[in-house]
Amino acid sequence: MGTRVKSIGVSLLMLIVLLGAWELSSQPPAATEALTEYELLMGGAEQEARVPPPSAVALRAWEELSDPFYDKGPNDKGIGIQVAYSLARVLSGFFLAALIAIPVGFLIGMSPVMYGALNPYIQVLRPISPLAWMPLALFIIQDSNASAVFVIFICSIWPMLMNTAFGVAGVRKDWVNVARTHELSSLKTAFQVILPAAAPTILTGMRISIGIAWLVIVAAEMLVGGTGVGYYVWNEWNNLDLTSVIFSILVIGVIGMLLDLGLSAATRLVTYQE
Amino acid sequence: MSDARNSKFVEVTGLTQRFPAPKDQGGTLTVYENVSFDIAKGEFVCIIGHSGCGKSTILSTLAGLNDPTEGGIIMNGKEIRGPSLERGIVFQNYSLLPWLSALNNVVFGVRARFPDWSKDEVRAHSEKFLSLVGLDAALDRKPSQLSGGMRQRVSIARAFATQPSLLLLDEPFGALDALTRGTIQDELLKIWSETRQTVFMITHDVDEAILLADRILLMSNSPNARVAEAVEIAIERPRRRAEIIDNPGYYTIRNYLVNFLHSEAKRPAQLVKTDGRPRAVNPLTLSPNRRAEPSRA
Amino acid sequence: MSSILPMGAIKAAAQDAAGKLEKTKLSIGFVPITCATPIIMAKPLGFYERYGLDVDVIKTAGWAVARDKSLAGEYDASHMLTPMPLAMTMGAGSIAEPYLMPAVENINGQAIVLHNDHLDKRDPKDWKGFKFGVPFEYSMHNFLLRYYVAEHGLDPDVDIQIRVVPPPEMVANLRAGNLDGYLSPDPFNQRAVWEKIGFIHILTKDIWEGHPCCAFACPASMATETPNTYAALLKSIVDATQFSSNPENRSDIATAISPKNYLNQPEAVVRQVLTGRFADGLGNVLDVPDRIDFDPFPWHSMAVWILTQMKRWGYVEGDIDYRQIAEQVYVASDCAAAMKELGYEPPSETYKSYSIMGKTFDPARPEEYAKSFPIGKA
Repeated sequence: MGTRVKSIGVSLLMLIVLLGAWELSSQPPAATEALTEYELLMGGAEQEARVPPPSAVALRAWEELSDPFYDKGPNDKGIGIQVAYSLARVLSGFFLAALIAIPVGFLIGMSPVMYGALNPYIQVLRPISPLAWMPLALFIIQDSNASAVFVIFICSIWPMLMNTAFGVAGVRKDWVNVARTHELSSLKTAFQVILPAAAPTILTGMRISIGIAWLVIVAAEMLVGGTGVGYYVWNEWNNLDLTSVIFSILVIGVIGMLLDLGLSAATRLVTYQE
Repeated sequence: MSDARNSKFVEVTGLTQRFPAPKDQGGTLTVYENVSFDIAKGEFVCIIGHSGCGKSTILSTLAGLNDPTEGGIIMNGKEIRGPSLERGIVFQNYSLLPWLSALNNVVFGVRARFPDWSKDEVRAHSEKFLSLVGLDAALDRKPSQLSGGMRQRVSIARAFATQPSLLLLDEPFGALDALTRGTIQDELLKIWSETRQTVFMITHDVDEAILLADRILLMSNSPNARVAEAVEIAIERPRRRAEIIDNPGYYTIRNYLVNFLHSEAKRPAQLVKTDGRPRAVNPLTLSPNRRAEPSRA
Repeated sequence: MSSILPMGAIKAAAQDAAGKLEKTKLSIGFVPITCATPIIMAKPLGFYERYGLDVDVIKTAGWAVARDKSLAGEYDASHMLTPMPLAMTMGAGSIAEPYLMPAVENINGQAIVLHNDHLDKRDPKDWKGFKFGVPFEYSMHNFLLRYYVAEHGLDPDVDIQIRVVPPPEMVANLRAGNLDGYLSPDPFNQRAVWEKIGFIHILTKDIWEGHPCCAFACPASMATETPNTYAALLKSIVDATQFSSNPENRSDIATAISPKNYLNQPEAVVRQVLTGRFADGLGNVLDVPDRIDFDPFPWHSMAVWILTQMKRWGYVEGDIDYRQIAEQVYVASDCAAAMKELGYEPPSETYKSYSIMGKTFDPARPEEYAKSFPIGKA
């Protein structure tokens, strides 16, 4: 039996054991006799804040996913629509950030002077939590949608910037010499030699960025509301509906994983062996 | 031999390379100084010397990748300032771009050299040179999928395909095993016999130098190294590896070179003439008792 | 502070109800609590439509966001806390922007909830060191809580900790032990009982019967630039508020506003709040029909009381022209006009005095009142 098959087997076994334990420990007590009015108003014997069992989560997942695009008004839309809104914001912010991070990263990687000049600003701005930017963004931009995109932008730009600079600076001198001895112009050298050489590092940076961006959008939407998967979580949280909260967390996790897979496939496309 | 020596295609004059010495020693370190020699058009020149004497630095300077501390180089009447497509290089570690296939690596060079050519012309030209080095079957493979020898052949194909007037080879076969080296030497000779470019090559292998070169420059040791002698290889072409050792003059030349490397290389500045130019020697015309000992200035 | 509002123009504009509506599509923000019942239910029960308006009621994450989105113009009008329009007009806690509160959303309707661990600590004197949650600084919840504990001899800035927590997070924080109790809007008081985490210690109507709580607010520019829309909107709100105050309608309203799109709370919880027949978490079923009530009239005296408390606790400093600000922001005249058009009789006065926990408030002497408390910073 191959190693891979064995790992999958063990993984599945672990999942079954964990889910089983969770299910068994979450069973609510059965109601024995008719309830008094007080008990009714208190929500009956069953109603108590507890973690829902996986069977309840699975049921909710089925309900939500079988009609993911319903629209009952501005505050109640299907999970498909919420995810679409969030993705739109993430991708806008992310690509905007890439548009700036990669050229600037190039500049920094190729010029020690520019590196020295820009580095202090980068080091100060980089550790600022994106959520701390939110109130400022709301105040200046005055639009919650644009502010959310800005917050994505400001948090996903750093890994791409640093990785691009690093990748560009680390291009083997031999390859640059090849370009030089073939009298390639700076622009051609940048596109034909430096870019492909640094591409795996740049794409790794992008992969890190998209992960952070997805994390941040959920938090930003919880702060600001509107339509989006973070808002969905918050809305269900308002109702202390843990079943839906768990379901939406799983959706967030799956989407995050898919984004990562996408970028890791892109990274493999540009990876080369030396 | 030719008197192409009279047409000085490459003139190296007073080349000196100094570096600031390590901090605890102070002063400067002189790798080599006052190196002057010429290369004639179409000549195949090898340079031999012990490690560290500065051969690679001279080659880099010829390539335009290095600025000398003193002195200069004139090629074809123009001073060398920076790299140029007229000076093709085969690097010691191949320097192939790893994300391009063998074919595309050569295409890279050809496109840079002939920007007006159509895609088909570029491709055909590249394939021709790869075929000359025997790599028809490996066109689409990436460098990581090629053996060391094959990579070096791609590198050679790339350099020749751009048809530079001066070809610089930095120990191109140093990393290869003896068998592969033999095959590639033959291929190099084959291509060169068709294109007859001017070649400057660094090597450690005396036999290789004798096989390939018209003249061999001998460098003394560093520090303060000099190009001491220019040894003429008066063996007729075409030369073949299997047969050349049967040539009567072969071992005379070989012994002369080996003796220099073993003993004379260690001697300092006395070995050169005062104007820095190497002594021209033809071991085959030396008197027997002087064949064993390289002469002094 | 000088008034820049042309009061005459506003009054005239509001009365021009026969005019064409300048803008019919509006966005109104609300925070999902029962205080906003009129604003919310006006949508499913058709009150906005009745007056020619197409309104989207947008759920908002919290008061700060409601304020920011209002100031940014994303909301045409919004559900707010009664102190907020006063604070925003004065520039306390945000940039200064003249706001109007032409209608109160609800009166009463809040409670102090304590964690079940504190069943034996019903006397506020035992609350030293407790952590309490309130939904916002500029809220009746904050001011009522402070008033209440101060009357029992505790200094709210020293003896207890008051934390700002968004209402939906109150229950979770209580459960986790981050809070010992809170004075919060419903349905989160009843929800704590429903989740068997806490109990209702006292309803706010038992602190101050008829106290204002939440507001319907809009920028002053709405009244001047789109007066017909303003008038129509105000009418729909006042109509909805009067409808909500009728006890017969409460049950249907509970059904209408409980779904995900609005409050997103269990209907049984919302019904207990709106009908006033509820479990208190201590084993009793209580019947308090005006546990929450809806009365739109923005009494100027309410504004003055709020201002005195803001002065008392140091949220504003210096001399305040109490009457001038109250009358500028709490546009009682607009509300009265709308009420009359709908056939209701508005009060003839805009000032009255209140008795809060046995102490009388005289709106004619605000500064003395603010300074009359042994505990406070005024």
